[in-house]
Amino acid sequence: MKYRITHTTVYNYSQAVGLCQNEARLQPREFWRQHCSSSHFDIKPKPTDFFERVDFFGNKVSYFAVQQSHTKLEVTAISEVSVYPKPLAKISQNLLAWEAVRDLLQDPNGTDEAQELSQELLDAKQYVLDSPMISSNQALFDYAHASFSPDKPLIEVVRNLMERIYHDFTYDPSFTTIATPLSDVLLHKRGVCQDFAHLAIGCLRSYGLAARYISGYVETAPAPGMPRLVGADASHAWFSVYIPGTGWVDFDPTNNKMPFDQHITLAWGRDYADVTPLKGIAFGGGQHILSVSVDVMRL
Amino acid sequence: MPMKSQQFSSSTASSDSGIGVQHYETRLGIYDEMLATEHKVLPYWEQFISALDTMGSEEIDRRRREAQRLLRENGVTYNVYGDDQKLSRPWQLDPIPLLISNDEWVVIEAGLKQRAKLLDLILKDIYGKQTLLKKGLLPSELIFSHQGFLHACMGTLQNQPRQLSVYSANLVRGAKGRLWVLDDRTQAPSGSGYALENRTVMTRILPDIFQETRVHRLAGFFKHFNKGLSGLAKHNKENPRIVVLTPGPFNETYFEHAYLASYLGYTLVQGDDLAVRDGYVWLKSLEGLQPVDVILRRVDDSFCDPLSLRSDSRLGVAGLLEAVRRGNVAIANPLGSSVLENPGLLAFLPSLARYFLNQDLILPSVATWWCGQKREREFVLNNLEKLIVKHINRRQVSEIIFGSTLDNAQKEALRAAIIAKPHLYIGQERFNFSTVPAFIDHHIEPRNAVLRNFVVANGKDYQVMPGGLTRVAREKDGLVVSNQAGGISKDTWVLASEVEQPVVVTSQSQRQQSIDPISEPLTSRAADHLFWVGRYLERVDGGARLLRTILLKYRDTLEFKDKLDSQCLALLLPAITHVTATYPGFIGNQEDGVKNLEHELLALAKDGKRSGTLAANIKMFVQSAFSIRDLWSQDTWRSVDRIQHRWQQPMANKIEPLQSDLDDLITGVVAFTGLTNESMTREAGWLMLDSGRRLERALVLIALLRSTLVSRHETAVLNQLLEAVLVSTDSFTIYQRRYRSVIQLPMLLQLLLFDATHPRSVAYQLRLLSEHIADLPREGRKTRLSEEEGIILKAYTDLRLSTCASLLNDESDSGVYEQLDTLLANTTDLLWKIADVIAQAYFNHAQATQLMTAPHNAEDEL
Repeated sequence: MKYRITHTTVYNYSQAVGLCQNEARLQPREFWRQHCSSSHFDIKPKPTDFFERVDFFGNKVSYFAVQQSHTKLEVTAISEVSVYPKPLAKISQNLLAWEAVRDLLQDPNGTDEAQELSQELLDAKQYVLDSPMISSNQALFDYAHASFSPDKPLIEVVRNLMERIYHDFTYDPSFTTIATPLSDVLLHKRGVCQDFAHLAIGCLRSYGLAARYISGYVETAPAPGMPRLVGADASHAWFSVYIPGTGWVDFDPTNNKMPFDQHITLAWGRDYADVTPLKGIAFGGGQHILSVSVDVMRL
Repeated sequence: MPMKSQQFSSSTASSDSGIGVQHYETRLGIYDEMLATEHKVLPYWEQFISALDTMGSEEIDRRRREAQRLLRENGVTYNVYGDDQKLSRPWQLDPIPLLISNDEWVVIEAGLKQRAKLLDLILKDIYGKQTLLKKGLLPSELIFSHQGFLHACMGTLQNQPRQLSVYSANLVRGAKGRLWVLDDRTQAPSGSGYALENRTVMTRILPDIFQETRVHRLAGFFKHFNKGLSGLAKHNKENPRIVVLTPGPFNETYFEHAYLASYLGYTLVQGDDLAVRDGYVWLKSLEGLQPVDVILRRVDDSFCDPLSLRSDSRLGVAGLLEAVRRGNVAIANPLGSSVLENPGLLAFLPSLARYFLNQDLILPSVATWWCGQKREREFVLNNLEKLIVKHINRRQVSEIIFGSTLDNAQKEALRAAIIAKPHLYIGQERFNFSTVPAFIDHHIEPRNAVLRNFVVANGKDYQVMPGGLTRVAREKDGLVVSNQAGGISKDTWVLASEVEQPVVVTSQSQRQQSIDPISEPLTSRAADHLFWVGRYLERVDGGARLLRTILLKYRDTLEFKDKLDSQCLALLLPAITHVTATYPGFIGNQEDGVKNLEHELLALAKDGKRSGTLAANIKMFVQSAFSIRDLWSQDTWRSVDRIQHRWQQPMANKIEPLQSDLDDLITGVVAFTGLTNESMTREAGWLMLDSGRRLERALVLIALLRSTLVSRHETAVLNQLLEAVLVSTDSFTIYQRRYRSVIQLPMLLQLLLFDATHPRSVAYQLRLLSEHIADLPREGRKTRLSEEEGIILKAYTDLRLSTCASLLNDESDSGVYEQLDTLLANTTDLLWKIADVIAQAYFNHAQATQLMTAPHNAEDEL
């Protein structure tokens, strides 16, 4: 499946900004599940300084600075991406129990598989640890407990956890901000996609498993009989779990779905803080009003 | 064997005036630096300690006090967090140094160099190939869960001979006399400046003993320091611009930042003095943007770049890491180097030393067990009572946990925390540090000591400061020596085998030719502070003079009971409220009478919590001056200290002694003014300071004239009032000399408003202000007037076009000289406007930044 994604962020300032510096993770990364055939930025005013690199987690990052005075900044990223899904049936064949995965991550030297998997395992191990926005704890452990039956295949555990989050939690954009702690989300059972992804990751890490955060997009189908609305889509977030033998498997708790061919990955990291799509520091500017529009178009 | 005092006390009754070497009692099982484990003074201490003993305790105490005086006057301070009463605490120095023999020093030096090399290699690997993690020589969870590992810094180390430029280790000595490393400091190690200042003071208070003892000098170390930092500049640029990045005057070791900057000739900056443009780092100076080549960093790495690192930091420079990544600026130590401060690393250093260097550690670390390993974890859990437990992230858990002090519930909680996240904890052997004699209450007593050493890279080589900062606990048997906990510092004397030649610190140009003087650019922050130093100083001066005049008049009213005096006083009291802007003060109803009047006058002098009072203005003056501590000469700083110190003395809540206090204060202000006049070059810094003074002096004077002379008064009262105004503006004598007549309003105005040769007149202030403003550096060509030039021109011209006759022309019956009032009011407005315009044009560090992050779409419907 091929898509064109147009992601526009506009900042309108009440006073002039003399200098702003930004870091964008708005270009889809390459990996086995997807190929990004083209990707470019359209930034107004044009930045006088623009550099691209790859970050610690392998994501594409662009640094740019607008060094002339401006009262409006418009950042548009346009990318064309093909998604090549892996049949879910094949993934479901991996029956490795969650305890085995935990032990492998804890002490890779204790097992034979470790030798071959060492590189992949070493990489996965960092996603077991606490990260800036997610700290594993007893409350998360307790919430997840119902999903962790002994000897259950990890894939089933996570599927069950995803389903429970989907049913137990209310999608409520008015409830959370970027700064809402996970404990509040768990207490009030409300949040947005980012919170649900963090929650699931926190639960899994509390059991010694490796889980990472994915930022991206999902294609939305128009309501029956309605025309497709340009720009009505949104950036999205979900999570991924490491299952030895299969690799990283994605889960979308907001939609109770295992991503197949409608999810487009931008970047991954330990949590949102690692993959913030666009962040910047502006000098001056007074108040700012922000608007974002995303368009995911099937080609 | 512990030393027993009885053995000696009988035989030494003669030396009561000594320092009590004979009564020096060490503790059983603790090594003492002077006695080792025997009860006999070690040979290399003998000469020194007997010289001190001969000098006698009275004399040493006198020199100790002298040391404290010097340290205070030099402004050597250490800020204690959470202590808002006093911003800074004086630095404590014990007059007895720690002596280290030459033989032992050779081992320490080699050990520190080895450790620095090892840590440098580890740092390079962690942010580079990560071979250590891949080979399992370092567990990944130990590195990745430490806050010092900054993901954004991966791959940002530049091609330098050494990554770790400055390194510091805390050393302790165990019961058997062996030295151990307690911890490594690799982030932005502090203390070398304090060590240098300690040495400076010691050579002044014990010059003779210092000479005889043949002590290694410290200056050579700083020469290497300077060369090493210069060498980091891109393309080995000659005369690179090096800045010291400080979190600011509230940081605990701010004194040192200013001290090192000024000693090494670097510019002291805060984060918003710098900006990143085009991938380079620039210093915002009055002369425009100046390129920065090397940053000596005293800000924690995660706070250095709000764009790539902690976004809540106000101390950093947005885009700094990007400039590093492109190799356009070098930072010592590099961002991310705090990963080496992970105490869990200590457990792996021996094996890493063998891996990298094929050597054993010369200086071992204090025994450490990382709980991320099964066997080690079990050992720690089984021996909690005997061990110290630490979280690997220092800032997260501030306290070191002594297992033996926990009750059962606390122990269980700790056990559970370790089991839940074992990789975050280490257990460490509990250590009884060696003791060293400290001079306490006129005699020597043993105190537990920690020695901090300093290492710098100069090219590929590491150089160790032959000395260091020794700190001892304040209390007997105390183990916490930190300055935050009130520890006392000591100089550290490494004994040389031969006498050394003095060294010149500042590096010499490689070419033998005369060098163009470099005038260090003035940062816009420093300009801002200088401007305000001038303004606060004038507020103090004007307030003090008027208050003094009022006190005299008040005394007259009590003494002579003359109605005229009372009337005059009644007019002066509201004036001081206006001049100092301490409303409501004496404005409005005065029902409460004399007692309240005295109370208010005292408050005007001493109430530091009320803005506008002398005490408050002095506080602000000192704070502004302290913020640019590196710019003042030693003598000038001393005069700042005197102003502050004198005004802080507790004083009787009485009005009588205030008069002479005010005299002292005014003399202090004059001393500061004189010193700055004589020691500051007439460059941007001076222009800012003096502009602030002129502006404020004009404002204060106009406020005084407006509140006293604009209203018309009866002749008898007016005469008194005019005299008071002249006295309070230090113009009485000049008036008498010039006019030789009774005081009259037109002539007074002539002198105080229009006479451009009189340093206390409004005209004089405006003239100087316009000259200064014209001289200030400006961007672009000076073909037309800048905004501030236009305003001051208008103010000065309006004044010069006025005449006494027209100002005092009173056709109305309002009882007010309206034209005079209008002129004064307009001039005031223009002066305030100039202050704003100058701030906007020159103090551009003040611009606020904001973080822009797109939140997850609120309208997201998924």
